[in-house]
Amino acid sequence: MSNSGNSVNELIKREYEHGFVTDIESDTFEPGLNEDVIRRLSAKKNEPEWMLEWRLKAYRLWLEMDEPEWAHLHYPKIDYNSISYFSAPKSNADAPKSLDEVDPELLRTYEKLGIPLHERARLAGVAVDAVFDSVSVTTTFKEQLAEAGVIFCPLSEAVHKHPELVKKYLGTVVPQRDNFFAAMNSAVFSEGSFVYIPEGVRCPLELSTYFRINAANTGQFERTLIIADKGSHVSYLEGCTAPMRDENQLHAAVVELVALDDAQIKYSTVQNWYPGDENGVGGIYNFVTKRGACIGRNSKISWTQVETGSAITWKYPSCVLRGENSVGEFYSVALTNNYQQADTGTKMVHLGKNTRSTIISKGISAGKSNNAYRGLVRFGPGAHNARNYTQCDSLLIGSECGAHTFPYIESKNNSAIVEHEATTSKVSDEQLFLCQQRGIDTERAVSMIVNGFCKEVFKELPMEFAVEATKLLEVSLEGSVG
Amino acid sequence: MNAVKKFPEALLCTAPQNSRLCEALQKLQQNARAQLDTLALPTRKNEDWRYSAAALSHLDTLSNNSTGQGAAEAASDGVSGYRLVLRNGLWQKDAGELPENHLVEVISFEQLNESDAALVSQSTLYQRSDLPFAQLNTAHFSEGLFIRIKKNQRLDQPLVIQYDSEDQGASYPKLFVLAESGAQATLIEEFTGASGETPACTVLTNSVTELRLQPQSQLTLIRLDLAGESVAHTGLTLAQLQRDSRLETHCAGFGGKLRRHDLKVALAEPGAECKLNGVCVTLGQQHYDNHTEIEHIASHCNSEENYRCIAADSSRIVFNGRIHIHRDAQKSNGAMNNRNLLLSNDAEIDTKPELEIYADDVKCAHGTTIGQLNEEELFYLLTRGIPKDQAATMLTLGFVVELVYQIPDENVRTLVEQKLEAFIHAAHV
Repeated sequence: MSNSGNSVNELIKREYEHGFVTDIESDTFEPGLNEDVIRRLSAKKNEPEWMLEWRLKAYRLWLEMDEPEWAHLHYPKIDYNSISYFSAPKSNADAPKSLDEVDPELLRTYEKLGIPLHERARLAGVAVDAVFDSVSVTTTFKEQLAEAGVIFCPLSEAVHKHPELVKKYLGTVVPQRDNFFAAMNSAVFSEGSFVYIPEGVRCPLELSTYFRINAANTGQFERTLIIADKGSHVSYLEGCTAPMRDENQLHAAVVELVALDDAQIKYSTVQNWYPGDENGVGGIYNFVTKRGACIGRNSKISWTQVETGSAITWKYPSCVLRGENSVGEFYSVALTNNYQQADTGTKMVHLGKNTRSTIISKGISAGKSNNAYRGLVRFGPGAHNARNYTQCDSLLIGSECGAHTFPYIESKNNSAIVEHEATTSKVSDEQLFLCQQRGIDTERAVSMIVNGFCKEVFKELPMEFAVEATKLLEVSLEGSVG
Repeated sequence: MNAVKKFPEALLCTAPQNSRLCEALQKLQQNARAQLDTLALPTRKNEDWRYSAAALSHLDTLSNNSTGQGAAEAASDGVSGYRLVLRNGLWQKDAGELPENHLVEVISFEQLNESDAALVSQSTLYQRSDLPFAQLNTAHFSEGLFIRIKKNQRLDQPLVIQYDSEDQGASYPKLFVLAESGAQATLIEEFTGASGETPACTVLTNSVTELRLQPQSQLTLIRLDLAGESVAHTGLTLAQLQRDSRLETHCAGFGGKLRRHDLKVALAEPGAECKLNGVCVTLGQQHYDNHTEIEHIASHCNSEENYRCIAADSSRIVFNGRIHIHRDAQKSNGAMNNRNLLLSNDAEIDTKPELEIYADDVKCAHGTTIGQLNEEELFYLLTRGIPKDQAATMLTLGFVVELVYQIPDENVRTLVEQKLEAFIHAAHV
């Protein structure tokens, strides 16, 4: 393996493909967080009084909370007053009515990122609610969705158009007091998507959002709320890229999913944010609270994630299985390289009868990174005949990285069954040798082996994402062998 | 911020220091005493005490009546071998029986020579701040025993160390076991005491046992937690393994209101190997907490761990197993297996098998299950005319007995099996 050292060094230096800064004049708040900033933010978005109150309540709760320190992460203390809490591209002030009105600079940015917007969107059959920094720029396929009765719009729009739905569900899955970062998000969330699938509707399109952090020093605090009414079905895709930046950027998002009787939500993420350079300088700090509630009987929530980016990832997409026979799934690939740190996993909280959950987690650590799986499986006293299967495997590439597993398993019901398995191994010399014998070079061999390792998760991804994910792993891993 | 909760007064007031201890030890003890003021009682927020902090309320009923010397003769429980009796933490020199063949030396800390005293006082134990109960022990112990198993000697019979706690109050037994190069021995730690019906905890045995295995030594530690319901127990076993040494532990825990055992093994030099087995049963309102930690510090070390736990009625069992593989510990093998049986809907089992790995050329795995008795197996036995409680007892016993059979001492094996059967039968009636 040592002979690949040179090519490795070259590849290590490979720059972040999506690292560029779009030169658009931004309308940005001065750094700092206080009630005044929240009032201004709320006013800027023309929010009704109840929304402002909701934010302020969250802010007051946040003030009393301590930043969590239990995660297996090390980073300098964040000064929350040095961050600007709102940034909107200025050219968006008088809201474009069609794509033609959108700033061409912006469109080029999307093009570079390869977002299937405009005509490509039509070909790909994806409706994109593209979030550029904090304001939704454009939404496509709205009419097709409206025909089916599906509501898919920016959350700020939903606050005006569908206040009854927002009021009813916002904060029910992730309450304001849930945790430090969720409370902060509740206070300052600037944008996000709102999805409502009416009773019995199967969403005709795969819904997709692209988040991008652009202006320097602005954290993005988006908030997503997805409600699947009785018997409905939706598949939601989320993908992220961010430009290169020297200063660490904070990102604290909240995603709430609600599944009523017989509803199904599939939430897929490909996260490829700037991970910092090879010396661990820069990169996104990603503190995300994602949670789904299976309220109804026979409902199902499925999380699939491919995490390759961010300097720091703190993320635990969870399912609260309240309804009888409800199902929770979590499929995850988390890859860390260089100085990246990830503490990610899931929580499956079984409350109802016959609830089932599956956790498949694959962690890959390379370089000097640390990758931890942290999971909770809890059976409440009412979770009769509940079932969980957990498998978390770690793969180590290189001798300076770390792979950790911290599973919490709590059972209060004697008819519930949980099985948990974890393994840690490295890419074996035999496997590599076999590939090399057949003329496959080391880089490619490792990529093949890693892709094989992640196969169980990739097959859960929607097609176009699976392709992107495979490519992403290759790019992220390049240079890690040797 | 919440105010820091303190340990109950009964555990904080100290008796005068034993002036016959050597200087280094006295100094350590003084340091520990100085820190008592700031020592916080673990709460739910302490990761290590997340599931057991609530059970600490049982310490409130302890009185600080320093215990007198209980008169009761140490019950032998059918465990045979050389015997060392500690009553309420104090060595009873006239009770028990020590080998006369000079294979083993038992020395009070008061009579330690300089090199041995250095060995004891330089332990990593005193640098750790995450073990509040061990700190209490350091602050309080009055004597302490040093056991040396001599070089290249093989102890012909197990050495039984009986910790008997009677009356009231807390006791702080402290033990340092040195297995010299090439020595082989079996130690049996037996915790006994007030099996009275007092509803509240009146006795706490807070023990610290350190094991030091020099190159190529082999030590088997059997730990029997047999004390009565009213005895609370927090114990720490801290082992350090040098080159090519081997440690085998067999822990049998029968719950009380508050029982906690921390087993920490450091594989410090290449070729060291450990195997940790444990079975644990709780009934009624009991609480048992097993914390194990295996540190692979050097390369080429192996560890294997097997714990089986059974919780019945409204009891609670905690298992926290941790394998930590350090950066240079290449070619390490670690395997952890933890299986649990919940016999009642009011019982609770919390398990957390952790892996922390910083080396890439390792094989490490853990598996955990929580479940119940298999209905088909139960049905099969019922169709053979076996009454239900008996059938359930058979199956439950079958779940743990595999580990019991690995206990190398036959007398202990029989004792544990009988005890398990009695407990399990009580759980099923």
